Amino acid sequence: MTPHSPGTDQIDTLLGIGFVAAAIVVVAINLALIVAVRRNRAKRGGVPSTSSGSRRVQFRVGAVLTVFAAAIFVASVVVTGKARETPASGSSGLAAAKSEPLTIKATGQQWLWRYDYPNGAFSYYKVVVPVDTAVKLELLSTDVVHTWDVPDLSGKRDAVPGKVNEVVFRADEEGTYQGQSATLSGQAYAAMRTEVEVVSPAEYQAFLKRQKADIQTAQDRVVGLIENGEVP
Amino acid sequence: MSDGPRPELVIDGFPGKRRPRWVELATSADHKDLGRILLAGSLGFLFIALVELLLMRLQLAIPENTFLSPVAFNRMLSLYGTSAIFLFALPLALGLFYYAAPLQIGARGTALPRLGQIGVALWIAGATVLYAGFLFTPSEAGINPLAPLTELAFLSNNGVDAWATATGLATLGFVFIAIDLLTTLRNMRAPGMAWRRVPVFSWAATVSCWLLLVIGPVLLAALTMLMIDRNYDGVFFADGSGGAPLLWQHLSWIFFSGAYMLILIFAFAAIAEIVATFSGRPLANRGAVMGSLVAIAVLGTLAWMQNMLTAPIGIGWMYFAMLMSLALIVPFGLIVFNLIATMLGGALRMRAPLLFALGAISSISIGLAAEIDHSMVAAAWQLKNTTDSTAATHFALVGGAVFGGFAALHYWFPKMTGRTMGESLARISFWTMGAGVLLAFIPLFLAGGEQGEVIDAYKFFASNDVSAYNLIASIGSLVLAAGIAMTLVNAISSRVNGPEAGHDPWGGESLEWFALSPPEPHNFDVLPDVRSAHPMSDIRDAIAHRTRRVDAPPRESQPVA
Repeated sequence: MTPHSPGTDQIDTLLGIGFVAAAIVVVAINLALIVAVRRNRAKRGGVPSTSSGSRRVQFRVGAVLTVFAAAIFVASVVVTGKARETPASGSSGLAAAKSEPLTIKATGQQWLWRYDYPNGAFSYYKVVVPVDTAVKLELLSTDVVHTWDVPDLSGKRDAVPGKVNEVVFRADEEGTYQGQSATLSGQAYAAMRTEVEVVSPAEYQAFLKRQKADIQTAQDRVVGLIENGEVP
Repeated sequence: MSDGPRPELVIDGFPGKRRPRWVELATSADHKDLGRILLAGSLGFLFIALVELLLMRLQLAIPENTFLSPVAFNRMLSLYGTSAIFLFALPLALGLFYYAAPLQIGARGTALPRLGQIGVALWIAGATVLYAGFLFTPSEAGINPLAPLTELAFLSNNGVDAWATATGLATLGFVFIAIDLLTTLRNMRAPGMAWRRVPVFSWAATVSCWLLLVIGPVLLAALTMLMIDRNYDGVFFADGSGGAPLLWQHLSWIFFSGAYMLILIFAFAAIAEIVATFSGRPLANRGAVMGSLVAIAVLGTLAWMQNMLTAPIGIGWMYFAMLMSLALIVPFGLIVFNLIATMLGGALRMRAPLLFALGAISSISIGLAAEIDHSMVAAAWQLKNTTDSTAATHFALVGGAVFGGFAALHYWFPKMTGRTMGESLARISFWTMGAGVLLAFIPLFLAGGEQGEVIDAYKFFASNDVSAYNLIASIGSLVLAAGIAMTLVNAISSRVNGPEAGHDPWGGESLEWFALSPPEPHNFDVLPDVRSAHPMSDIRDAIAHRTRRVDAPPRESQPVA
């Protein structure tokens, strides 16, 4: 993951903290095991102690562990709080989304994502969003549970039928970001991918207009075919 | 082994002909026979689960492989998960509890043997139903099949029905066994064995059985709802008609989180017995370890929403799940600390049980350390449902059920068969497994954590930059499977060919070593009064005292019986 949104910056920070915590645990335990085995083999001739431990040490160790757990908890709450904040759109972002994030509906269905834009246009598989703009994706599902996951832009979230979930991000760079659905949803699950194309606000507006016109043309053609009786 | 009839058991010439051994075993309600059936069956299903894992890893060895079709892959995935949890790890833990705990507390059998027998029969029925799915179509819905994928509208063949029936039967069987074992542990302890003197492993059996009584019915309720949904137009988990897909996630994760904890409780208790025995000293701070086992059961089950951090639930619930998960650091940490403290004051005999126990601690430490990251809410948004979670779960559960289970197997094998398992093959197997588990799952940490490779997928793409990781993981799985297979072979061949062990090969502290190897059907001819947490030391001391020459040191006696 290369973070390209304020939220993923925070996630990256927390992953770093988590990695350090996990590394401390793994190294401490395994080092202690190695030391214990090397020092206390029976063939070195030591006599086993008959002590059954000390209660005071238990409280000290318990206190250290509690502080360790509490520190991770506090750090997680703080960073998670920051990661959840809705970022403000930047100066080079879409003017219309200055105060409110641009809301796009993302609907998961077996095995494709559909994106509905505010002007009524829609697209499948690929969503086009303006750069430096706060974008809110409302995640819905028409069938089974899907998970929207574009690691560079946002943490993953489930689209559960009957519920609305959301992800918010602000892409800091134009380009294409790959994503993949992350909950087993049936046969073609592994092929259920998606793509976020980040473009300049002007290009975004042009895309919306073009997409809407294309959809209209296609609909008109289908309606025309039906009226001509070419499609039963 | 007793040669010929013992004076107090004159049963030779008892009227009627003896039935064949397998009939005796199949109709037995003796906890030792049932425990052996569970143990042998679970090891058999471990082998089957490994084959399924290898088939999946073969599919995932190279990008966009077409070795398995998507449907075949999903079936292997479902069978693998169900076999690993319901047919291997849980019955292994329960089988060893059921075998060893009544012996450890000095009981002459279990309190409700018929209930235990029905429990084992139900488990066998469950296993049969799951694999009978091959006659039509096994489930394609995954390890914990999330509703509404399991609804009739999305999977209309009978695979999910077979899965639900199978897991339901097995779970009901576990609950029956838990009731029997719990009653036994409550009522049939040897005179003087207060709870504070109960061996750690028997205490863990008590905790695990209570845990099963709580989580088992939750899963049974969920499975019943699923069956009503699928077969009788129910809408429990169907959206749009008043049902809620999330309800399934809550109910099933309560069970799976509890089961995860049960496996670790089993493993740590077995490890504690083994570490103490092979250090030649009492376990440091028994009380703290026993309390920690209870805390793990409670906190671990309450942390079920740790699995749902990406689902549409309130942020408060997510913090609650994180709090419960991170709180587990304290009891797990205390247990590991006391295990190491025990070793630091001991004189270690590096035999196979201890070797596997140390491997288990090491592997579990990696898995649980990774689970810390999976509990930190925002980090979980990145890590959940990637192969990073596959790796974390496998390090913890392979560590607990396979390494920990094998440690327990090597430890109690002499009690069950009268013979020890081959030591050199055990060592080769251990190091192979150690290399295998690292090779198989460290690359998955990297693929999931760095590249976000998603879980459960039947293929990945070359453009995901995870090809090398997956190839190494596939090779590692093969190495791991080879190591595991060696121990299975070792167990089979040692039953007949292993060196004779005697009744107390390790110098253990608890009463199972007071019985014969293998124990008589009634376990004990005489029961000692228990006066401490280490009755076998007391017995050895007493014998030494009686037979002591004036110049001999007090504890140089041979083990009794």
